[in-house]
Amino acid sequence: MESSILKIQDYSVRRGDFLLEKINLSINKNEIFAILGKSGAGKTVLLESIAGIYPPTEGVILLNDRNVRSIPFQKRNIGFVYQDYGLFPHMSVRNNISYGLKMRGCSKKEIDEKTENMLDLFSIRHIASQFPKKISGGECQRAALARALVLEPELLLMDEPFAALDYSTKKKMYSELIKIHKKFSCTIIFVTHDFSEAQLLADRIGIILDGSLKAVVKSENLMDEHYSEEIDIFLGRI
Amino acid sequence: MKQKVEKTAKFDAFTLISISIALFVMLFIGSTIFAIIIGGIPNFALAFHSEEVKFAIKLSFVTATLSTVICMLLALPTSYALTKTDMPFKRTASILLELTLSMPYLLLGLSLLIIFSSGFGKMLKEFGIKVVFNQLGIVMAQLTVNLPFCIRMIRTAFSDVEERLEYIAQLLGASKFEAFRTITLPLCKSALVSTFILTWSRALGEFGATLMLVGITRMKTETLPGSIYLNISTGNNSMAMATAMIILLISGLALILSNLLSRNKSCGRTGGA
Repeated sequence: MESSILKIQDYSVRRGDFLLEKINLSINKNEIFAILGKSGAGKTVLLESIAGIYPPTEGVILLNDRNVRSIPFQKRNIGFVYQDYGLFPHMSVRNNISYGLKMRGCSKKEIDEKTENMLDLFSIRHIASQFPKKISGGECQRAALARALVLEPELLLMDEPFAALDYSTKKKMYSELIKIHKKFSCTIIFVTHDFSEAQLLADRIGIILDGSLKAVVKSENLMDEHYSEEIDIFLGRI
Repeated sequence: MKQKVEKTAKFDAFTLISISIALFVMLFIGSTIFAIIIGGIPNFALAFHSEEVKFAIKLSFVTATLSTVICMLLALPTSYALTKTDMPFKRTASILLELTLSMPYLLLGLSLLIIFSSGFGKMLKEFGIKVVFNQLGIVMAQLTVNLPFCIRMIRTAFSDVEERLEYIAQLLGASKFEAFRTITLPLCKSALVSTFILTWSRALGEFGATLMLVGITRMKTETLPGSIYLNISTGNNSMAMATAMIILLISGLALILSNLLSRNKSCGRTGGA
């Protein structure tokens, strides 16, 4: 039996008028899991909830059997990549990548070594001294991934990571993600509204509509399963 | 044909009226500055040879700098608490600040006079802290007038920093303080510098609250605005105009400096050319 890294139990959270309701989900170690849904369905709120950003209205999210909210932010060992990358605009790409290492008190030698490795791994050495404003979306994406992965997180959360990329860059990044998953053997949860992207990359897919998790399926079965009418409408089968 | 279209767009009645009003307003504002320049230039040299004006410049600079530094030191944590924490009575605190901002400065000075003339003020006096009719009172008056303004400016700057960046910093290993020091503060750098300069400039021109709390005693509690008031009261108009010219120059320089420093606003996009 596969061991789970994350358990979401009866989790509800309110953000303004929006309610994410009674989510129950378990994510296995080393799994790639896609949260699929249309805009405004609550995908990002769920992802941010997994990172422990919001206090729940009810329920709990357990990271390695510990309430994620009870673990200090800096000890959660979670990497987060936002749709618009969330790079620190006042820091160069190199400083963005080394930021986490500095904050964790690593030695200068270790910081330099790991940062340089990441610059090579993601082929972004040529933009190391550039600032986020000056680089392309694909380069920002790589820099954000490098910044998250340099700390070797156990869990990598990605919010619509490929939505802002053009078709060819997107294709390249798909294979990069698979490579990353193999190399870092971390669990990846990513949010998307693209069925084919979810099917291509994920082991399992959770379908979220109007603030509740409607179904969890193996990605290869996404189009074969029988669902409720609203999921069929979302999947374009009706 | 194209030219005709452009002409119509440029000179429709609404545009014409708004431009006319704007020009009238500029003329009105400009005339106040012009009046100071015209009256100040012939007497400008006179002011620099006057011991009284030198004293007022020195006192204004020292008190404005001191009150601005204290203001920033108090406003930074207060603004952080008001924007980034779940502190209790946040709404009440905001109303209190807005109310203080809208109060006449003379009234703030009166409140300070009441506080520092009370038993509390007398107790402070026994410890050697004299506020009423004292130079320390000038700092206190400037601080009271400027603190809500300073907090409002810094709150706006802090609110402009995306909260997500602070979360990301914390997920990467930063403590709340480190996230504040390495992300929030640098992203607000130009706004903070502007706030410092504008607060200083306002402190330099503060008059109402100072008048109420410390009065204006020649060569003792005589700040630059106080000097203008004293000279006008005693009929020495030329000296008053010269002092006004000095304040105008200092304000102009502060404005230029503030604009230059805010030009490179660092709060902004987080990536993607």
